[in-house]
Amino acid sequence: MGILANVFARFVDTDKARVFGIRTDMLERLGLVLGRDRKAQLGVAIVGIVGFMAAFAPILAPHDPMGQDFPVLLEPQFVGAGALGTDSYGRDMLSRLIYGARISLLVGIGAVAVGAIIGMVIGLVAGFFGGLVDDVLMRMIDIFWAFPYLLVAIMLVAIFGQGLWNVIIALGFAYIDDFARIIRGEVLALREEEFTLAARSIGLTSREIMVGEIFPNTIAPLLVMYTVLVARAMIAEATLSFLGLGVRPSTPTWGSLLGQGRGFVTEAWWIGILPGLMIVITVFGINLFGDALRDAFDVRRSEGG
Amino acid sequence: MRRYIAKRLLHSLVVVWIVATVVFAVVRAIPGDPVQLMLGGDATQEAREQLRTQLGLDEPIYVQYARWMGRLAQGDLGESLSTGVPVLELLIQVGQPTVSIGLLGMLIALSIAIPAGLISALHQYEWDDYVATFIAFLGISMPGFWVGILLIVFISQRFEFLPAFGYVGPGEGIRAWFSHIILPAIAVGVPYGGIIMRMMRSSMLEVMNEDYMRTARAKGLSPQLIVMKHAFQNALIPVVTIAGILLGTLLGGVVAVEIVFGIQGLGRLLINSVHQRDFPVVQGSIVIIAVIFVLTNLLVDLLYTVLNPKIKYGDGGES
Repeated sequence: MGILANVFARFVDTDKARVFGIRTDMLERLGLVLGRDRKAQLGVAIVGIVGFMAAFAPILAPHDPMGQDFPVLLEPQFVGAGALGTDSYGRDMLSRLIYGARISLLVGIGAVAVGAIIGMVIGLVAGFFGGLVDDVLMRMIDIFWAFPYLLVAIMLVAIFGQGLWNVIIALGFAYIDDFARIIRGEVLALREEEFTLAARSIGLTSREIMVGEIFPNTIAPLLVMYTVLVARAMIAEATLSFLGLGVRPSTPTWGSLLGQGRGFVTEAWWIGILPGLMIVITVFGINLFGDALRDAFDVRRSEGG
Repeated sequence: MRRYIAKRLLHSLVVVWIVATVVFAVVRAIPGDPVQLMLGGDATQEAREQLRTQLGLDEPIYVQYARWMGRLAQGDLGESLSTGVPVLELLIQVGQPTVSIGLLGMLIALSIAIPAGLISALHQYEWDDYVATFIAFLGISMPGFWVGILLIVFISQRFEFLPAFGYVGPGEGIRAWFSHIILPAIAVGVPYGGIIMRMMRSSMLEVMNEDYMRTARAKGLSPQLIVMKHAFQNALIPVVTIAGILLGTLLGGVVAVEIVFGIQGLGRLLINSVHQRDFPVVQGSIVIIAVIFVLTNLLVDLLYTVLNPKIKYGDGGES
């Protein structure tokens, strides 16, 4: 992992103090954390493996995840199929499990992106303009907060119908308020910083200051938030799919595999346990990685300790 | 203080009103006609019209909205379209298992997570900190309903006195009631407890670094007194906030866990009524949940003043 820190250092060794808007000293600190912290390394390894599974699912999966290649029995069976047997429709479990990584990651990352984009705009505008704009926008955010998000997601899926993109949008709404709040807080603090005042004094417009000066400085807390919420969104997706209200049931997702396997837990426990284990391991890895990011980026805590 | 509470109550009322309005609109945007679903495909046009008039669905949408708001203002949530039972009665019926499981789960989670977080912070970077942190992370990463499946497969099937199915009210024996809700409560509590433990740990670590802690130590107070009186009480404040904010998450967890354990709770009711386009039931449940949520968070804010006398709300501070 020391190599990783080196790569980071080399990568950011330019006269610009930022890479993708992240201050280079933060990247260096992330490299340090990754080089030293076992927890962080484990997190990166898990996320890497699941990402690999998702990317190369067609190569890794021994059978077609949708194909009913094996005799349909009332019960799941081990005979003939991949290492984990089949589900009750005669579809290969292992292949469905591998393909499930795709949907889980896609929904997790996508849903949080929806929340991040909308929430960021609201937070930036509210924090930057303050006053009445801030009041109105943040009261709006308060209302988002009072909705029980899973139940709202259930209703939204009922309105728009099941399907990948609908689930992503329905879940994404739940994360708007998190992003709006955190970005607003950052902006309120940054608004009074010298570089903002300097930008204003050389005549930059509000939009230029927001996009060019303030926004890049919010990226670090944003990334931490993003990672934590992806983990949460993946669990939410699994819950929706488990309830039969997520992506279409024929699409293999870890949540829907659990939902379908639930009826067979007494005869074939692995159908009820393994998809859940995949969720837990993946979310666990993302949470560990998020914690490492927080250690690296959270200026407040690292200065205090 | 009184002015602050009044202001907050008013604000809460506005929030609930907007939630109610949004839900009213959203529910009607769900494609599908409740009358069609109730009568089936081959009912005559006449029968459909008749039922529609009977349920008040033939009126313009703003009349329906005004009528619903009017009744809501009087605390009346209306009646279920499909069964005619008052929504409030339905909610009380299903609310009992949901609230039992939610509260017990919360209780279990808090009573394990808070001491664990405390120990973890006091023994930072020692083996027990690592073990507690590992378990907490694992808990956060588990969907509650999956914990429920695990409990059914590995616990309920071994121990017959812990049923994997159904719910029995406390009226039919406390023991039976408890044995039916303990496993679902654990399932709900695991992810919740994980977050609380992490929160407790980081909050405690932060407090231990504060200046007044150093002062207390310099004054020569006993370590136990410092930890329990000064640090713990202050560290608890953000934990209480999170515990309140997470109520929504907890509830979401209960919904799925109830399904796993085949319990007729709020989750079942809500999903069924969304499927049947039973507008008043969906509206009523969401509004009630929003009310509970808003009130809890108001209570949490007021709890602050108890935990931390330094915080005073409103403008009565100086006088």
